[in-house]
Amino acid sequence: MSLKNVFTDWSRYRKGIEEGGFHDYEHMWGMAVDLNKCIGCNACAVACYAENNLAVVGEEKFYKGQAMHWMRIERYWDEPDLGEDRVKEFNHHGANFIPMMCQNCNAATCEPVCPVAATYHTPDGLNAQVYNRCIGSRYCSNNCPYRLRFFNFYSYYESSWPEPLHMQLNPDLTVRDKGVMEKCTFCVQRIRAAKDKARREDRKVRDGEFLPACAQTCPTGAITFGDLLTLHTPGGGVGETKVAQMWRDHQVELGKTRQTKQNPELRGYRVFEGLNTDPCVMYLERVREV
Amino acid sequence: MSNKVNRRDFLKIMGWSGVGATLAGCDLPTTVTLEEGKEEVVSYLMPEEFVIPGIGVWYASTCLQCPAGCGVHGRVREGRVLKLEGNPESPINRGRLCQMGQSGVQAHYNPDRITQPMLRKNGGLTPVSWHDALEVLAQRTGPGSGLTGERFAWFTDTISGHQAVLLDAHLKAMGSDNHYVHEVINNSVTRAVNRDMLGEEQPRLRFDKARVVLSFGADFLGTWQSPVHNATEYAKFRSPPRGVLVQVEPNMSLTGANADLWVPVRPGTEGLLALAIAKVLATKHRKPLDKLPAAVQELILGYDVNEVARITGASGDHIIKIAGWLSERSPSLVIAGATAEGHEQGYQIVAAIMLLNIILGNVGETIEPAGEFPFPQLTARTGGTRSLVDFAKALEEKRYDVVFFRGANPVYTAPKALGLAQKLEGVGFKVAFSMFQDETTALADLVLPMRSPAEDWGTHVPAYQGEDRVISVQQPLMEPLYTETRGFGDVMLSLLKMHKVAGYSDYEDYYAYLRDAFAAMPAVLKENHSDDSFWARALQKGVIPVPTTQGSLTVKTAAVEVPGDSGRGEYPYFLVPAARLGMWDGRHANIPWLQEAPDQITKVVWNSWAEMHPSTARKLGVKTGDAVRIASSQGTIEANVYVYKGIHPDVIAVPMGRGHEAYGRYAQGRGVNPLKILDPVTERKTGELALMATRVQVSRASNEKVMVKLGGSESQLGRKIVATVTADVFERTEGGA
Repeated sequence: MSLKNVFTDWSRYRKGIEEGGFHDYEHMWGMAVDLNKCIGCNACAVACYAENNLAVVGEEKFYKGQAMHWMRIERYWDEPDLGEDRVKEFNHHGANFIPMMCQNCNAATCEPVCPVAATYHTPDGLNAQVYNRCIGSRYCSNNCPYRLRFFNFYSYYESSWPEPLHMQLNPDLTVRDKGVMEKCTFCVQRIRAAKDKARREDRKVRDGEFLPACAQTCPTGAITFGDLLTLHTPGGGVGETKVAQMWRDHQVELGKTRQTKQNPELRGYRVFEGLNTDPCVMYLERVREV
Repeated sequence: MSNKVNRRDFLKIMGWSGVGATLAGCDLPTTVTLEEGKEEVVSYLMPEEFVIPGIGVWYASTCLQCPAGCGVHGRVREGRVLKLEGNPESPINRGRLCQMGQSGVQAHYNPDRITQPMLRKNGGLTPVSWHDALEVLAQRTGPGSGLTGERFAWFTDTISGHQAVLLDAHLKAMGSDNHYVHEVINNSVTRAVNRDMLGEEQPRLRFDKARVVLSFGADFLGTWQSPVHNATEYAKFRSPPRGVLVQVEPNMSLTGANADLWVPVRPGTEGLLALAIAKVLATKHRKPLDKLPAAVQELILGYDVNEVARITGASGDHIIKIAGWLSERSPSLVIAGATAEGHEQGYQIVAAIMLLNIILGNVGETIEPAGEFPFPQLTARTGGTRSLVDFAKALEEKRYDVVFFRGANPVYTAPKALGLAQKLEGVGFKVAFSMFQDETTALADLVLPMRSPAEDWGTHVPAYQGEDRVISVQQPLMEPLYTETRGFGDVMLSLLKMHKVAGYSDYEDYYAYLRDAFAAMPAVLKENHSDDSFWARALQKGVIPVPTTQGSLTVKTAAVEVPGDSGRGEYPYFLVPAARLGMWDGRHANIPWLQEAPDQITKVVWNSWAEMHPSTARKLGVKTGDAVRIASSQGTIEANVYVYKGIHPDVIAVPMGRGHEAYGRYAQGRGVNPLKILDPVTERKTGELALMATRVQVSRASNEKVMVKLGGSESQLGRKIVATVTADVFERTEGGA
């Protein structure tokens, strides 16, 4: 890594932040999660365990905050938007569920603090984690405002997959060992398989050709996944993906810390976007009849 | 086609031959096994054409984690099944899967599986060979054993398809009709009401068409009928024009957590509330009651809304609001579930609730006839908890010498008051067809290790199918992990051979039987395919569409008699054993993913908890995480408290599923089982156990264990994490009525 490269990359990175991702990306994977459809059932989270070789840590380590759930359903009881006074004696509008997975921020706060560049941005727009480069400083998880990075405080191979449970492990990705940080990858193994297949067939990856495990299993179809790259083209042009269409419909733009919507009633928002993380996951607000 | 198919041909037929398959066959190591030595082992140096090391292939099969019967695709690589996804061809789940379905692989690879037959000798279970096990079976139950039909019984969970055919044949060979079907999570009472009121037990419900869904404790997104199917329909229901969901129940279920209006009620007063809503519909909204008998009309008009509000705990404003929605937005759908059914007067309560559908004209609109399934021999034998009560009574009378158990775990699920474990001692010979050493298997005299659903053949016809009806096909996704396990169908055929039942004795195994059974299917299912091609197609698609006859629903109402407030007495609180998507009735407690998956509502992991309203907690001087002792007249359990505003103040809810005394390393000794301390009250009309009828005392206990849950904050603390808009806004921006 020459000094010149460092400066080139840094200026490219800064520019990327200002303009909502690198425009010379190959893809820019993103999501839209509709909280009107999400029922908080947890199918996505367990599908993630199955797909990504996530360790089961047990009750004690869970208590210490060492659980490895790359995807989790957060549940809140208050509803600031409907007025606090409504939650008096009972939660008459049910619960507030939100599936949280790595937001794959374009201006990821975890990336610049890594002393060894184990976490970096790929030309696919993914916030990647290079396991064998990671030295376990945990600066990244310290810096993630979403708390979506998970550290292997122990080696879980023996305890989490006693024989023959280990036979279920997905051979398309590793089992991470002690001292390594890990997080949601948008199922990068599926992305790569789809890209390889498309390359062999001499075509582009088709929208919906593959899905991350969470989106595939979601019983209500609340999670939409795809390429956001066309968001940079005014009007989207040909080949706008479903997810990009949703972002456009809800007037959510990349590269902003605050959305300036023509119609402020549209439901799209990004969690903590005011922190200038520029996340690639858009949520659609929960809806309640009041 | 001969019955002798060598394994390699057989796999070719499975995936490769026939209709334009793009994916086929397992990788080679699965097609031959060293143990069998029937064929030479073929290395990857000379692979079959379709085998590419490192490339996963997908096979269709059926999920057996609950009785809903969703279709799955299993990803097979290097001879191992790695991942399950929903099968898009299945009209039940349309390519989707819940967390229990996802963890099917952990049931299959579970480290606590039983790997060989065991026989009780000198008090303990000792390993025996299958040969010896079958010999013992022949001695104790075969012809010449002297066992008569009335001294024999089967005790199973829901069973359907060809497994049910074989089970029926076995019962016939034994000369017995004692088949107990047990499911703790069931809708038996509603089925009885539907049968009497509509003429069909399981009509098809159209959530997608409904503009308002009013659910009295039916957790249709979590544990009711066909959760994944309901969730896919719910997504349509919530799409513009967005429907309104109202949930009435004592403590919040997953469905309640998604309701626009969640109404807490005192358990057992749901029927009263339904009639009060009917009264508002009749008086304020001028809905005619003329379809109801005069006595019922009189009953409805006699209610005072404020009085009902006082008794039920629901507010009068809410009653009026619900009636308003029901009247303005049509069609609607009113359903009833476990918390409305589980009372002494459960049938009457559900009948009162169903009256709303008749008043609102939903029958024929959102409640459609499911039609007749043309193969009654394959339909699901399903049941509830009456089987438990009846079985305990039969054991009391010492009616059985031999009982076969499959799937169900009555020793765990039965309330202590039924004394099932002790009464089972009176049964001379208990046989468990089981994958795991659960509480019932631990008491068995002979344990027959079953193959996992991922290793076995089968066909399934779930009791509730919300869309086009299908026979769901189950095929092995890999070679058995343990050579000494056997498929249920294979063992059933061995039993039938033992009895020399004509027609079944010629089959080498269940596979051969199924091949013949498929060949014998009527032309309407085969759609001009040859036998082989039909078979291959069924395996590829995983489902066989079955045309049903057009049915019709005929409305018939009788008088209803709903209970009011039942008083407090010595035990001031109601105990609700809450059913959850996850642990289910306890059958998934041995799955580590599900133990570590936070409960949807409380976010607790790995342990039981007791839900409590803040006002109750204040009264008892406890806060979240403190331990309480919950005592009914039948026993005591202790659990840590979770305090929240999603429960009626008179109710204590403890989830079902934990508190196992056996069942492997992940289940054993974790949490408590609320079913154990239930009063043995039964529903008057159906004989089902009234699961919600138990009263308890609650007192503070010493904190011995911390409660472990996900998330430090129950509140968003002013941050915009989950933002909410009102339905008006949604209607303006994304379309509405």
